[in-house]
Amino acid sequence: MPDEATRLNEGSGQRLSRRDLVRGAALAAVGVTASVASVTTARIAPRKHDATGPATARQFPEPTTVPLDGDVDPLIRMQADLRRAMAKPVEERRWTMVIDTRKCVGCHACTIACIAENKLPPGVVYRPVVQEEFGEYPNVQLRYFPRPCMQCDEPPCVPVCPVNATWKRPDGVVAVDYDRCIGCRYCVVACPYGARTSDFGLDYSDGTPAPQPYEELPNHEYGKSWDRANHGSPVGNARKCQFCLHRLEEGMLPQCVTTCIGRATYFGDANDPDSLVSEKAREPNQIRLLEEHGTKPRVSYLV
Amino acid sequence: MTKQRTLAVLAALSLLALAVGAIGVVEKFLTGERLAGYGSYVPWGLWVALYFHGVGIAGGVFAVGAVGYLAGVPGLREHFRVTLWVSVVALAVGLLAIWMDLGQQWRAYRILIDPSFASMLAFNSWMYVFFFAAMGLLFLLTFNKRGPSALNDRSGWLVPLIFPALLMAIAFPSQSGAVFGVVDAKPFWTTSLLPMLFLASAVTAGSAVLLLVHTFLAPEGTPATGQPLRVLRHVTIGGVVAYFVLEFAEYSVALWAPASAARESLELVLFGPFWWTFWLVHLGGGLLALLLMTVGRTMPVIGTGAFLVAVTFISARLNILIPGQSVQELRGLREAFTHPRLSLFYEATLNEYLVAVFLSALGVALVVLGIVILSRGGATREATAA
Repeated sequence: MPDEATRLNEGSGQRLSRRDLVRGAALAAVGVTASVASVTTARIAPRKHDATGPATARQFPEPTTVPLDGDVDPLIRMQADLRRAMAKPVEERRWTMVIDTRKCVGCHACTIACIAENKLPPGVVYRPVVQEEFGEYPNVQLRYFPRPCMQCDEPPCVPVCPVNATWKRPDGVVAVDYDRCIGCRYCVVACPYGARTSDFGLDYSDGTPAPQPYEELPNHEYGKSWDRANHGSPVGNARKCQFCLHRLEEGMLPQCVTTCIGRATYFGDANDPDSLVSEKAREPNQIRLLEEHGTKPRVSYLV
Repeated sequence: MTKQRTLAVLAALSLLALAVGAIGVVEKFLTGERLAGYGSYVPWGLWVALYFHGVGIAGGVFAVGAVGYLAGVPGLREHFRVTLWVSVVALAVGLLAIWMDLGQQWRAYRILIDPSFASMLAFNSWMYVFFFAAMGLLFLLTFNKRGPSALNDRSGWLVPLIFPALLMAIAFPSQSGAVFGVVDAKPFWTTSLLPMLFLASAVTAGSAVLLLVHTFLAPEGTPATGQPLRVLRHVTIGGVVAYFVLEFAEYSVALWAPASAARESLELVLFGPFWWTFWLVHLGGGLLALLLMTVGRTMPVIGTGAFLVAVTFISARLNILIPGQSVQELRGLREAFTHPRLSLFYEATLNEYLVAVFLSALGVALVVLGIVILSRGGATREATAA
C-alpha cells in the first residue's frame, strides 16, 4: 500500500499535485495564446475580397446629344462624373452620397424605385424616408431624410460577421456575399442606422392563389443573378443598400439618385474634386447621422 | 414519489413534449422563418435566448462540477461523468437553438471552415468545438481512473485537461455577454458589466442544474444536508444573490443618472408590456427559489428551488436581449416604412415556443438518460477497474 506522498507523486491521489498544476497551466496558456493570436490576426489583417488594379476600370462612351456645359441637370452632370470615376481602378474611387434635405419633398419615390430595382420582398427595405416634425401645431415644419446604407468607413456590421460574408470594398461600399452569409443577423443588430434588414422569405402574394411573375424574377445585386426560389439566397440573409453596384458597373447611377424628383440626392466619387458630389460635400451646412458612434458614415445631409 | 418514479415521470413528460415540439421543428424546416416572430428591428428572439441560456448552463455545470471534482467534494468526484454529460447536453441544446435561428441553417459549417475571429460568434463557435473535444477526452480518461474517488487517471492527463476546459467553461458564458457588450448600437448592452452578469447567471443556473441532477444521484436516505447537495445549494444561493446584486448595480446606475441612454430599455424591462417577465418570472421566481433552497429541508423542496432557478434564469437573458433591441437609435425609422417584420415589438410565436419546447425536452430526456446510464454502468465499470 503506497503512502500518501507516493500517491500524490503518481498523480493519482486525492489532491492536486504540482505536476498536474504545471501541465494544466501549460495547456491553458497554449489555449490563451492561440486565442489571442487568432483574434489579433483577424483584426489587423482582414481578408481581401476584391480585385483591384487597372482591370477594374470601365470605359463608357461620352454622350454626344446632351450638352454638359452650363447649367445642366444635376443628373447629367453626375452621369459625366460617374463616367470619369469608372475609368479609374476601383481602389481610386470613393463613392459618397450627399442628400439635400431642403430639396427632399418626402415623395418616397426613391424607396419604391429601390424596391423595384433590387426586387425587395416584403419587410426588406434599403432606403426608407424618415420624417421629422418640428414645432407644435399650427407652427410645424417637416423634414425628410432618406436613409440608405451609410457605407461607413468604420462599419460596425463588418467585424461582427462570423463568416467573412460582409466587408468594406476598396471603393468604400460595404458589400455582402449572399452565398457566404449564414443568416445569424449579428450585423443587423450591430448597425445603429437599422440599415440592414433580413429577407425572411416572404412574398407579396402570400395568402393569394399564386405567386406573381414579378416575384419570380431574379435580382442582380453585386452583378450576380439571385433567385429566391427554394429558399435560395438572399432568402435568410441580411440585405442592404450597396449604392446599386450592379448599375455602377454598367455606367448607371444608383436607382434612388435617378428617381429623385427633387434632385435631392447627389452621388459620385469623393476622390474627384470636380465632381458635383464633392462640391456638395464641401458645403458647411452638413450633418452626418449618429456620428457619436464613430462609424464615419459616407452619407451626409445638407440641412 | 421515489426517485425512480420521478425520473420515469420526467422521461415520459419529456417524450410527450418532444412529440408536441416536433410539430414546430417540422414547421420550421418546411416554412423557414415565415412563422417566426422576430424581424429586422428585433432580429434576435426566444431561440437566441435559449442558446445563451444553454451555453451558460453548459459552462456553469462544468465550472462548478470541475471545481468540486478538484476540491474532492463527495458526489461531484464520483459522478464526474454525469457532470460532463449534462454540460455537453446543455451545450448541444444551446447550439441546436441557435442553429434553428439561422437564416441559412445548412451553411452553419462555414463558421468552422471560414471563420472571422474578429467576430465573437466565430470565436465562441471554435471554443465550443474545443470544449466538446475536451469533454470527450475527459470522459474517456475517467475510465482510466483507479477508482471513483481517485483524482487523476493513470496517464496523469485528466486533471491537467480540466484546467483549459475550466477556462473555456468560464470564458464562453462571459463572452456571451461580450457578444452584446461590443454592440455600440445598443446603449442598453454597451456595459462592461454584461459579461459578469452572464457569467454569474451561468454559474448560478449551472449549479442549480447540477443540484437538481444530484438530488436524483444521491443514494436513498441521503439527507438534504449531505454532500454535494449542500455545497451546490450554497453555490446556487450565492449565485442568485450575486446576480441580483450585479443587476441592481446595473439598473440603479442607469436609473439614477439624470440622462442615461439605457434608461428607455430599462423602463421597458421594468414597466413595458412584458413587465411580468422581470417582476414575476425573474425576480419572483428567483426569490421563491431562494426561499425554497434556504429553508427547505427535504430534497423535493430543494430540488424544486433548483428547478426554478434553472428555468426562470432564461428570463434574465430575455430581459437583456429584447429590451436592448426594442429601442432604436435612429428615431422615426420604425414609422418610415411599416411592415410586421419592421416592428420594435417582439413576441415569440407558437412556432418559436414549440421549437423551444422540443429542444428543452430533448435536453431533459438526454440528461435523464445520462443519469440512469452513467450512475449505474459508470459506477460498475469504475469498481471493476479499481
